[in-house]
Amino acid sequence: MKKRIIAILSAAVLAFSLTACGGSGGDATGDSGDKASITIFNSKMEIQSQMEEMAKEYSEEKGVEIEVYYSSDTVAAHLSTRYAANDPYTISMVDAKDVYALAADHAVDLSDQDWVKNTTQAITIDGKTYGFPVCVEARGIIYNADAVKKATGKDFDPTTIKTTADFQAIVDECIKGGMASPTGVMKEDWSLAAHFLAEVYEQHDDPDAFIAGIKDGSIKLADDAKFNQLMDTFDVLKNNNYAKDAAISAEREVTEQKLAEGEIAFMFGGNWDWSVINAYDYSENMGIMPVPNDATDGSSEKLVGGGSKYFFIDSSENTSDAQRQAAKDFLNWLVNDEKGQQFIVEKCALVPAYSNITLAVQDPLGASVKKYADADALIANYNYLPDDHYAKCGASFQKYLAGEVDRAGFADEVTAYWKTAEVGAH
Amino acid sequence: MKQNKLSYKVGQYLMFGGPGTLLFLAVVIVPFVYGLYLTFTSWDGVSATKELVGFQNFADAFTDGDYWWAMLRTVIYSAIAVVLINIVSFALAYLVTQGIKGQNFFRAGFFVPNLIGGIVLGYVWKFVFNRAFVAIFGTTSLLATTEGAMFALIMVSVWQYAGYMMLIYVAGFMSVSKDVQEAAKIDGCTSAQAMRHVTIPLMRSSFVQCIFLSITRCFVVYDVNLSLTNGDPFKSSVMASMHVYNQAFTYKNYGLGQSEAVILFVVCAIVGVTQVLIGKRGEVEA
Repeated sequence: MKKRIIAILSAAVLAFSLTACGGSGGDATGDSGDKASITIFNSKMEIQSQMEEMAKEYSEEKGVEIEVYYSSDTVAAHLSTRYAANDPYTISMVDAKDVYALAADHAVDLSDQDWVKNTTQAITIDGKTYGFPVCVEARGIIYNADAVKKATGKDFDPTTIKTTADFQAIVDECIKGGMASPTGVMKEDWSLAAHFLAEVYEQHDDPDAFIAGIKDGSIKLADDAKFNQLMDTFDVLKNNNYAKDAAISAEREVTEQKLAEGEIAFMFGGNWDWSVINAYDYSENMGIMPVPNDATDGSSEKLVGGGSKYFFIDSSENTSDAQRQAAKDFLNWLVNDEKGQQFIVEKCALVPAYSNITLAVQDPLGASVKKYADADALIANYNYLPDDHYAKCGASFQKYLAGEVDRAGFADEVTAYWKTAEVGAH
Repeated sequence: MKQNKLSYKVGQYLMFGGPGTLLFLAVVIVPFVYGLYLTFTSWDGVSATKELVGFQNFADAFTDGDYWWAMLRTVIYSAIAVVLINIVSFALAYLVTQGIKGQNFFRAGFFVPNLIGGIVLGYVWKFVFNRAFVAIFGTTSLLATTEGAMFALIMVSVWQYAGYMMLIYVAGFMSVSKDVQEAAKIDGCTSAQAMRHVTIPLMRSSFVQCIFLSITRCFVVYDVNLSLTNGDPFKSSVMASMHVYNQAFTYKNYGLGQSEAVILFVVCAIVGVTQVLIGKRGEVEA
């Protein structure tokens, strides 16, 4: 008898543990009573603690419970598991290309929102606005003016560096002044292919036509002027790289530390790199300048960039209308409330994408970007590259960086990639 | 109550095996079958509709050159790693069963790498290869070359699994009775001969187990691959699992990635089962 009771008990415990697992899945949909509670997916790791703090304060002030989640998975991978589990976030922060991929199935139309008129960076598909731009980010050459001054003895004026020859000259001057190798190159495939190679497409007047030309063979990438001009500048970066012999094992943190501390003076990157640089003992005078090149189209006076990271609100039945309203209120708060603005600009040190936010950007890289953005000197991002572009062309670019292939070989590999790849629908 | 009635048997089974069966169904069988279904769709991982495309994904998988390169790389990596893991762990097991002083401490010490998760371990070794070795020897990092990255992967895997397999070999050594070893010695065997002709044949089941475990683990290696090399340099150290993951989640070809995963599973199962069948055939008992 006793054994029987034990057996029944253990079976009951097991059964309970099973139902308990099932139960917790149901709770997460968040339809809890009158007090709206929303979830936010954050894909900017560097602002996670600020987001959590903000969520707490916002809850206390507005009575709307906010939970902030982060995942180190790629955005698409993480969201796909949440959609598969019928448990999407109320608000998700994604990259521009994800908005194009997800909007039709999963996003709410935000065209009627107040903030739309204050930004030029929102994502609009077929006349409907789906993506709320979180910030503006742009790419160029990050410079450390203090390091240049120390090596050359002269104040560094980034606006004087316009052509590849100018860039080579200042690098040579730094070397003469005792800086062994003045540049650094991030070997990460996203930096090489999604950021640098993408500038080749983006600096053409019509990137779509350019890519179509590569695809049908009417444009030879290896002979393309823009490609060669930008690669000439890349060669300067590559040839003076502090990690020239082992460029592929250079770690991003080490490169950025050297840049911050003035051991090197130039690196290709964007204002997001500030989150890494400010972890070190950085120099006062840093900034971003356009990638110098020999083109005469003015591209060497413009950064490349625009809206980066977009919020969209879930449209599925797993999210209640009350939650959706709370989410819209939250987005409005970010743009129109003083505290929301302070959160974006001061707490997170982001460059705001809204004309009504006038707070000064604090970090020097962000300030550079803001300067170019205000002067309307940003070349727009091309957001429709296929998902495997950065990985496959990045691998080819890494081969070029390591000296395994020459420029013609690199151009061939990129051309071969485009033979089968399709740009995203837009 | 009659104990041989079907209802009684079913009841008993449900009571004891039911929860386990249910769990197994829920976390293994159902996802597996659902995964098989997804291989017949062109799903991208997020869209609401899953369009059926028949065997297109399998056809694509067979023509996906990158996948087969990754597979070949995995086979080479596994072959070398499995041999090394088993040689090292067998040697370690031999050392720590000889009654040396503090052998329990050594056993624990060799086992520790296995307690560190593969992700952490990868980052630790990345630091060692990229900074420590470079600072000490003044050479360029191993991880910067294609061969070096593969070598690093193999080395770290051996370091990670040797301690775990050692435990199985230790159990194997202990299970061989002292009587037969002594008998062999009395009959005039040297220790090497006793090891070769008596101990090792009696430990055959340990070998079968260890080789099976190391093969299956090496074939699906992902965590160390991710944190140590992440496929660098230029995607030349991408193993099959990582390719499958990238295909499904990063490139958003979920159906294709899933069918490549199924092929990997089949290859892995065939290799593993064949090895166990061959290994079991020659098992002897004292």
